[in-house]
Amino acid sequence: MSASLYTRRRIKNILAMILSVAATGIGLLFLAWILWETLSQGIAGLKPALFTKITAYREEGGLANAMVGSLILNVIGILIATPIGVMAGTWLAEYSRRSRLGPTIRFLNDILLSAPSIVLGLFVYTIIVLPSQWLTNGDITFSGIAGGIALALIALPVIVRTTDEMLRLVPGTLREAALSLGVPQWKLTVQILIRAARSGIVTGVLLALARISGETAPLLLTAFGNNFMTFNPLNKMPSLPQVIYDYTKDPSPDINTLAWAGAFVLTMFVLALSLTARFVFSRSKVSHD
Amino acid sequence: MTNMNEVASKPGFGTSPHESGVDLGQVPAKMTVRDLNFHYGEFHALKSIAMDVPEKKVTAIIGPSGCGKSTLLRIFNRIYAIYPNLRASGEIVLDGENILDPKYSLNRLRSKVGMVFQKPVPFPMTIFENVAYGIRHHESLNRTDMEGRVEQALRGAALWDEVKDKLKQSALGLSGGQQQRLCIARGIALKPEVLLLDEPTSALDPIATSRIEQLVEELKSQFTIVIVTHNMQQAARCSDMTAFMYMGELIEFDRTEKIFTKPDKKQTEDYITGRFG
Repeated sequence: MSASLYTRRRIKNILAMILSVAATGIGLLFLAWILWETLSQGIAGLKPALFTKITAYREEGGLANAMVGSLILNVIGILIATPIGVMAGTWLAEYSRRSRLGPTIRFLNDILLSAPSIVLGLFVYTIIVLPSQWLTNGDITFSGIAGGIALALIALPVIVRTTDEMLRLVPGTLREAALSLGVPQWKLTVQILIRAARSGIVTGVLLALARISGETAPLLLTAFGNNFMTFNPLNKMPSLPQVIYDYTKDPSPDINTLAWAGAFVLTMFVLALSLTARFVFSRSKVSHD
Repeated sequence: MTNMNEVASKPGFGTSPHESGVDLGQVPAKMTVRDLNFHYGEFHALKSIAMDVPEKKVTAIIGPSGCGKSTLLRIFNRIYAIYPNLRASGEIVLDGENILDPKYSLNRLRSKVGMVFQKPVPFPMTIFENVAYGIRHHESLNRTDMEGRVEQALRGAALWDEVKDKLKQSALGLSGGQQQRLCIARGIALKPEVLLLDEPTSALDPIATSRIEQLVEELKSQFTIVIVTHNMQQAARCSDMTAFMYMGELIEFDRTEKIFTKPDKKQTEDYITGRFG
């Protein structure tokens, strides 16, 4: 009786094990496949010109302007999204406790988190690109600023969410301990809670950066693209994902190779960011138990 | 139950030497609790508590889980007020002023009434900063004075010798017992008059526990101490007065010696002897 029960359990256990290992395997297979494909196709295009020459030279050129453009766009996006996101997340975690607004905003933030990025691009096109065109008589239309704002809208909900969650992980006893010293709420928040949740918040920002650095759709209608090197965010600005998108559609095989090389660089950048995020989080994770 | 309610709600129940025959040795009351009621939403958690907390003595609060002893302690510095839907009514008079009066500033109250919690909760800063942090909020001291104050607090908490060479290291690297003593140092650094200890040793090993108990004994020359504990031996060892609570009521409050040898109430005796709770 008990032996057969035991056997049945063992069989169920083995079955469940096989299924979950298979599922993991399928997931990892595709990840490895993607990495392998990017690596093997991209490596042919890896040459010094990739990093020194601009896209205006087409086959003989590189992606230098796109890389610089991407960097500028991402920095603008993160610089806008981080302060707003961290502050909003802090409000949600620390101050919204007594109001009904908190859960509502959390819900809306989750909607923004899953909003199609092309819609956000269209939104920025309407509220930034078109007005700046009217206001400057067409001198400024599509711009790095507009692209950065579109990216910020994508990064924002990620940062709000991680800040909120990381702060809520800080044990309540830490709040009580600080408040019992007579410290006011704002000091507690800024000097103790944010510090305790710091590594988690930084991780959130890095992950948001990884997320926006691969975005193409919102940039089509905002940064537009540019075949030349520009450092001025009021200009139309090229970006790596957008060049990859354009070069992949090109009939020339050499241009396709450049697209693969760009994809490889982008993948490595995102990978490095994710690893940094992991490192930051694991290094200074604080236990209060 | 009704009977006990009547007794418990009499003013000064169990607290006046004349009524209960307790001799506190002419110790004046530091805090006087009168008709204190507390609600968690609809739940009536504390029922007409009345007691005098004697000055510079250790008062232990014991009772089974959920009896309201931590709740009572958490009213003494109004830390409960950070959560919604909690209400306290009645009076707690500290140096002639009712601390439950909304006009009584929390900042002032918390500089006068310090608190140490069940789990050690060092701030994510250096050992020095942990102690200096609270001081800095209430006073502005120059560097030398601040160093003196931190040292004094750490010595007071019997931690100085162990940490004097690593004041710049993170407090999170200390052992549990050291962290708890750091929390005590942080509390006494503000020079409070009352020190509240909420089961301060329940997360510590026996050696760290005995150090904390020793410390409590030393600290009572300077502070009025109220300690909540699950451990009856601890109450017997280190308190002068003991309050026994049950189901939100103060059943008996008397000299520790009397509570543990010949308590007046049957319930107290049952609890002390381990017959329930």
